[in-house]
Amino acid sequence: MGLKGQAALVGAAQYKPEKYTTAPRMFHLQQVAELAGLALADAGMTLHDIDGLAIVGAQFHEAGVFVPAMVGEYLGVALNYAEVVDLGGASSVAMVWRAAAAIELGLCNTVLCVIPARMAPMGANDDHAAEVMKTSRYGGHSIRFGAPEAEMDLPYGHMAQNTGYAMIAQRYAAVYGYDARALARIAVAQRFNACHNPEAIFYGQPITVDDVLNSRLVAEPLRMLEIVMPVAGGAAVIVTRADRAREGRHRPVHIIGCGEHVQSKSPTYARDMLATPIGPASRKAFSMAGLRPADMHMAQIYDCYTITAMLTLEDAGFCEKGQGMRFLKDHDLTFKGDFPMNTHGGQLSFGQTGSAGGMTQVIEAIHQIQGRAGERQLPRHDLAYVSGTGGVMSEQGALILRGA
Amino acid sequence: MSWNKPLPQPTPISAPFWIGLKAHQVRLQRCEDCGQWIFFPRAHCPECASPKLVWRDVSGEGELYTYTIARIPTLPEFTDEMPQILAVVQFDQGPHINTTLIGVQESDLRIGMRVRPVFDDRPGEVTLLRYTSIESQHSAVIAAEQQSSSQSTAELVSQVSRRKISCKDITAMTSLVSEAFSEWSNEYLVTQEIIDEFAALSGDDYWIHTDPAKAREQSPFGTTIAHGMLVHALISRLKMPMDFEIIDFNNMVNYGSDRLRFSAPVPSGCRIHARYRVKAVESVRSGVQMTMEINVHVVGQDRPSVINDQVILYM
Repeated sequence: MGLKGQAALVGAAQYKPEKYTTAPRMFHLQQVAELAGLALADAGMTLHDIDGLAIVGAQFHEAGVFVPAMVGEYLGVALNYAEVVDLGGASSVAMVWRAAAAIELGLCNTVLCVIPARMAPMGANDDHAAEVMKTSRYGGHSIRFGAPEAEMDLPYGHMAQNTGYAMIAQRYAAVYGYDARALARIAVAQRFNACHNPEAIFYGQPITVDDVLNSRLVAEPLRMLEIVMPVAGGAAVIVTRADRAREGRHRPVHIIGCGEHVQSKSPTYARDMLATPIGPASRKAFSMAGLRPADMHMAQIYDCYTITAMLTLEDAGFCEKGQGMRFLKDHDLTFKGDFPMNTHGGQLSFGQTGSAGGMTQVIEAIHQIQGRAGERQLPRHDLAYVSGTGGVMSEQGALILRGA
Repeated sequence: MSWNKPLPQPTPISAPFWIGLKAHQVRLQRCEDCGQWIFFPRAHCPECASPKLVWRDVSGEGELYTYTIARIPTLPEFTDEMPQILAVVQFDQGPHINTTLIGVQESDLRIGMRVRPVFDDRPGEVTLLRYTSIESQHSAVIAAEQQSSSQSTAELVSQVSRRKISCKDITAMTSLVSEAFSEWSNEYLVTQEIIDEFAALSGDDYWIHTDPAKAREQSPFGTTIAHGMLVHALISRLKMPMDFEIIDFNNMVNYGSDRLRFSAPVPSGCRIHARYRVKAVESVRSGVQMTMEINVHVVGQDRPSVINDQVILYM
């Protein structure tokens, strides 16, 4: 059962994160084509190697339906596997395992997984742009008639991610205790990593634990420096058959374990908001790979907030439930440390490139395993754990990656 | 004043819940087959998939499951509620509900504390279900008409005895310069009526200020907002507590502003207040010039809506 490691990541590309105000505006189709070209070049492949497509469709600019067909047509490739993934920040991880599964099933040979996340140019009388503006202000909350969150959450101001994650953190504090200094170590260690990554949005801006604790309180107990800054970006990776991967330009990165769990849209309606979906997702991924958390050489953990990363450490099994704060104090999370985590800076310091944010973690794992992480290169770099998180702990996924 | 926040649109499935709240009664669905209590309203039991659900009256009481205090409004429409205590309550029957807590001091908040319903009739067409501590003195109902009176301007400003400072005493004048801001002024309610009057007076009748229906649909703020210049002008209505009085001048001139920023919106229906600090004092050819940094905030908001470095010239 499960993936047999017969598919591998062989190429990756991403736009350098940029503030929305200065990033170029491009059609999503145009971004897809450019990112695909860059990722294929990285892999040493050409456009016509692609016969599979996984794409995030929820905010796709040029179409609301029939997105894969439009994208395939625009690229100029025919597809034997085509899919829209709608799992928010978990989409990156979800696309990679879906691509691997499609390849192992023999449906296709090479899959482009792509997420355009720069804004598109506005047209005259652009109804879509107005619609996007209207819905985006509700931060992923549906405002449609009959949507439970439109009816039961929005009238009270329950909206978007900050307060949802804050309420999870408050509940954690009441049940297990809370150590703001320990959690701040995540932000500080990741900023250290970002200061060794010229691509990171916060490159050259180190911070201290006190900086985190003195940053603006957004929603108890979350402070500004524990929260990602959304930026423009976009990313693509190429997944192909293991035998083709051997002919690529870089060390193949095999997908040997995966798991996914979707719990609830709002953590309010989860039976226990502290039992996060990454638990079942990670257990599945590790058992599929036949490995344990302690076997990993790195953890690239979805970090929209420090609390998200901490709960993932616990529920994925890197430490026991309730021991997360202690774990953070006992370990050095930098790329020089004993528990290298988010070695690119994490989304907190690399930049959260919208729905492509989760791909920054996948791509850092690829670069580390391929030995291309430059200054941040880990000495042991064969096995990586990667997680993705969508919504407010709504949906999570895990990957186990291994260098050939 | 119309309710300018998102409102629930009851569906055929959820209508009994909202009808109950209108009558100040909390109702939950219960599965006739497995006995499970259910929230939010559904057409099936999420435990056993049975469609046999019945509505039952309950006390609405429960425990505080978790909460946070929003320091930045989740939507501009909620600016007037800042800081807002967003909460999840666990009904005694088990299910969780999203709500806000009112009538509770921040320092008294405890996860697990007993809470009881407060029926908020202010939106008019629907009643919202808020919560308060079981020990709170807060009334169980917020009546629709309570809104305007409860937000009427408190004109009371602490009158401290004022030090008299001669504008000719540059040392004393300079000693007023401070990094720290004063206490807050009185509060003032920025109503749609005032915004409309300012629109008529100034000629700036752009819809983002004056058309609540269109603003709800198309404005990034989801509601109408006051003109920046209106909020600036309303500084005159905000009496800031000053512990000094400048004397010994022949003439005092409002020389204008070194810096005027509209750094955050003031949605219609918000209360504003202001505070100041003396930012700089300098001798100029004609006398002494004092720069007061005046910050106008929506009540409860950290970020100022107007920053005005007002220059006053004493001659």
